Amino acid sequence: MTGEYLLEGLAVPESLNLLHDLLERVGSEHPDIDAGDLMLFETAVIEVAGNVVEHGRPSGRVSWTFHLSVHSDRLEARLSDSGEEYPGGTWGTSMPKDPMQEDGRGLALATAVLDDLDYERTGDVNHWTMLRRRG
Amino acid sequence: MTDTSTAVLQPTGRLNMVAAPAFKNLVEETVASGQTRIVVDLGQVTFIDSSGLGALISGLKATRQAGGDLRIADVPEQVMTVLRLTNLDRVLRAHATVVDASHDW
Repeated sequence: MTGEYLLEGLAVPESLNLLHDLLERVGSEHPDIDAGDLMLFETAVIEVAGNVVEHGRPSGRVSWTFHLSVHSDRLEARLSDSGEEYPGGTWGTSMPKDPMQEDGRGLALATAVLDDLDYERTGDVNHWTMLRRRG
Repeated sequence: MTDTSTAVLQPTGRLNMVAAPAFKNLVEETVASGQTRIVVDLGQVTFIDSSGLGALISGLKATRQAGGDLRIADVPEQVMTVLRLTNLDRVLRAHATVVDASHDW
């Protein structure tokens, strides 16, 4: 079974719970999705979205559109935000060396659980695409 | 058995960017009140993100600086997976139950 989901809003911490709720809905409407796949995909979505909440500028005034597609072989999501451009490359995608460091794991964690994480800037919009193949 | 210097904290639901700051404050207040051995019962946590992990690491540092320690117990699957993926399972060892975590400090 396939399906499409859309959520629009402001990139603020409270919006993360709306994303969680959406992912829960995806799970209940697609019981064929492996619970482990969905759990890891949700982990990645929340980390990427959390990164936008934390680093999106101007803080508290960045809006976003989240689009999720359920395919027979993969879960795919695109988070588009109106914030300023992010530094590109492999920034933030490796785990901190110091285990006692309190932050800096978000994108590294997302990278670890996704088959593909991509960032691109088009015009005034940042696009984060996330893909996880279904087991 | 626990003693007066041991506290058991039980966060519930999603330990994410929304809930992590309050949890971090709770740990700091607990340490400031003299309870420097903290067991975090994660049995009711449905999801953790890197902010939640940061709050646990912050608590680990706060308790150790005060001569105590922080342990985690009854760790759900998503939390355990995230701990492994971030290699934090090496610094936050999971105990099966709160009772297991509450002795031999």
